Amino acid sequence: MATGIRRSRSENVDHNKNGLLHRSDVTQGEHPLSLGKTSAWNQFFEYSEIMEQIDRDVKRTHPDMHFFCGDSSFAKSNQESLKNVLIIFAKLNAGIRYVQGMNEILAPLFFVFRNDPDDKNANFAEADSFFCFVELLSGFRDNFCQKLDNSPVGIQGTLSKLSQLVSKYDGQLQHHLEVTTEVNPQFYAFRWITLLLTQEFNFADTIHIWDTLLSDPDGPQETLLRICCAMLILVRKRLLAGDFTSNLKLLQNYPPTNISHLLYVANKLH
Amino acid sequence: MAHRVDNEYDYLFKIVLIGDSGVGKSNILSRFTRNEFFLESKSTIGVEFATRTLQIDGKTIKAQIWDTAGQERYRAITSAYYRGAVGALLVYDITKRQTFDNVQRWLRELRDHADANIVVMMIGNKSDLNHLRSVPEEDGQAFSEKEGLSFLETSALEAINVEKAFQTVLSEIHQIVSKKALAAQESASTNGRSMQGTTINVAEAPTNTKGSCCSS
Repeated sequence: MATGIRRSRSENVDHNKNGLLHRSDVTQGEHPLSLGKTSAWNQFFEYSEIMEQIDRDVKRTHPDMHFFCGDSSFAKSNQESLKNVLIIFAKLNAGIRYVQGMNEILAPLFFVFRNDPDDKNANFAEADSFFCFVELLSGFRDNFCQKLDNSPVGIQGTLSKLSQLVSKYDGQLQHHLEVTTEVNPQFYAFRWITLLLTQEFNFADTIHIWDTLLSDPDGPQETLLRICCAMLILVRKRLLAGDFTSNLKLLQNYPPTNISHLLYVANKLH
Repeated sequence: MAHRVDNEYDYLFKIVLIGDSGVGKSNILSRFTRNEFFLESKSTIGVEFATRTLQIDGKTIKAQIWDTAGQERYRAITSAYYRGAVGALLVYDITKRQTFDNVQRWLRELRDHADANIVVMMIGNKSDLNHLRSVPEEDGQAFSEKEGLSFLETSALEAINVEKAFQTVLSEIHQIVSKKALAAQESASTNGRSMQGTTINVAEAPTNTKGSCCSS
């Protein structure tokens, strides 16, 4: 018996040496082609797909800014930090994982922490932005969740709230947009809401908007909807004169705006 | 003037751009509508929209192109965008085998959400990266023949075949629409009845008036 154990040990050593697993050690669940949720291989393949997606999106986060893009080692290390945060978030939130656009929400947070004038703080930018990213998404993550799309808390529900808000403050505009020219809010406000307006304005303006968004006592969700509503009201004249094509183009490429004025108008929608 | 209402066209055709994330859909769109290309462009969230008016077979055709997000999560949302679409460009990346393997899933997506008569062209993009190619052109050709799709390899970066791809799809749609309109006219005249009850499936654009399949 003792020799038997010794032999099997030495066999194991042999397997380890050439990197092979003994066939009987591979359970059904660990079969490389298994699609089971607990299969280590399946998880491995799924995560490598997510990591590829994160990698692809981090590379195209604010491609016009040296802070995020380009060949400098600074940009490269910033990209690594963004990737780390998104990957860890995806691992910790198996129900949502990574959804395209999360990179755009993380970017302003990381930018602000990394540019802290005190190096002692700036060095912890990755950890600090991770913490704030989790906090921020706790209020918004339902918008990213496909299963909740058609529930009141999902993105469709949020879009209806925006519609109602516009209808409340400017019924004529809401009717012209959604009924006369058939511009479904989903066609433009989907991006406004899921990305918290990060793709609608230049970076400095986005930070300006976020200062209000994150500090308003009503919470970011309510404030965001008010700002979206104000964006529509500010271009109401053009919208009322426009047709489907021109209105959709205008709202998908929102014109440069005086942000202080926008926030002022939004604040009056209480 | 962005708010000018224009009706200077004979037909309005809605085209959707679909395919996996990162295959170059947005650059195909910007190459076609604005003659621009960005090596690193932002990822598309939700849908982006652009138009271009061009002459095809002597008619003025306004192409209304909808560019969609590629990630799985966005598919349920974007399915609404297929409504009224008469053409689709299904794009894969010739350097990424996976994006070609997924073409089948995208076809299923079209079958589930789009009009049965939608004209589909399959596009193998990034043909400028021939040295990194992992999908042989013959594979694309064979697959498209099997599925009855038109097929082209394009390079949005080098502006190769992008124009041709759109021209081909739009011209095919136009032919179908004019044939249907002609058939409708003939049956109307032989039956001595009005055109009432004639359905034009591919586009709701009648021949002699300004037509549209969305609004405006």
